[in-house]
Amino acid sequence: MKNRLKVLRAERDWSQQDLATQLDVSRQSVNAIETGRYDPSLPLAFRIADVFGLAIEEIFLREE
Amino acid sequence: MTGSVEERRGRSPRFWVGLYFLSVAIIGALRISGAINGPTGFILLAAATGILIPITRKAHGGAMARYNRRVLICTFGYVLGLGIAVTLWNEYELTDPVVFAISLLPTLPTFGIIWAMARYLAEEQDEYLRHRTIMAALVALGFVLAVGIFYGFLEMFELVPHIWAWWVLPVWAVALGLTQFWHKVRGS
Repeated sequence: MKNRLKVLRAERDWSQQDLATQLDVSRQSVNAIETGRYDPSLPLAFRIADVFGLAIEEIFLREE
Repeated sequence: MTGSVEERRGRSPRFWVGLYFLSVAIIGALRISGAINGPTGFILLAAATGILIPITRKAHGGAMARYNRRVLICTFGYVLGLGIAVTLWNEYELTDPVVFAISLLPTLPTFGIIWAMARYLAEEQDEYLRHRTIMAALVALGFVLAVGIFYGFLEMFELVPHIWAWWVLPVWAVALGLTQFWHKVRGS
């Protein structure tokens, strides 16, 4: 699944570790999600959406 | 006074693992050369597991730290149990019930390692790390099954010598480690 995590993170000038700390996950998790190697569970996707103050569908995009 | 970054943070896990394997190699060389006897070799091997203690202190997550600590204790128990069992087997004429009992000495700690892995999967709160470990464990299991079946037939047709069945755990552990290393390299 595609996502806008890297762009959203860059807009806020957050490192992967910064985001990982806010989500209470490892930096490897953020990296894997960001690069599309791992799709987060629904609860984690909601936590990511909450951190950015956006809806899930504004962060995670359907594959066309 | 300022120390180097490495001194402040402590050595990396790779350093301690490397030092551990170096120690094992030296103890093995001493044993093969006849400089030390079997029991001394096992005592030194058990003591060498202490080299891995800093890794259990460095682990970031609670679940991983507990896993490392449990595996370390089990590894220590395994080497010690194996040493006692082999020494008793070599030195004494044992009855079957005693042989059964001494077989449990190295076996029970390996059950502990399997239990530690199960506890880690249950306790790990980071879903990606849990997923990664499960995938690595499945790859390792597939490798053990494939190698075991192939070797079994090679052995049945008398092309290769007989080996003891306990090889499955070390081979599984090595495959698990290599798969996790590959995941780590790919991730970075």
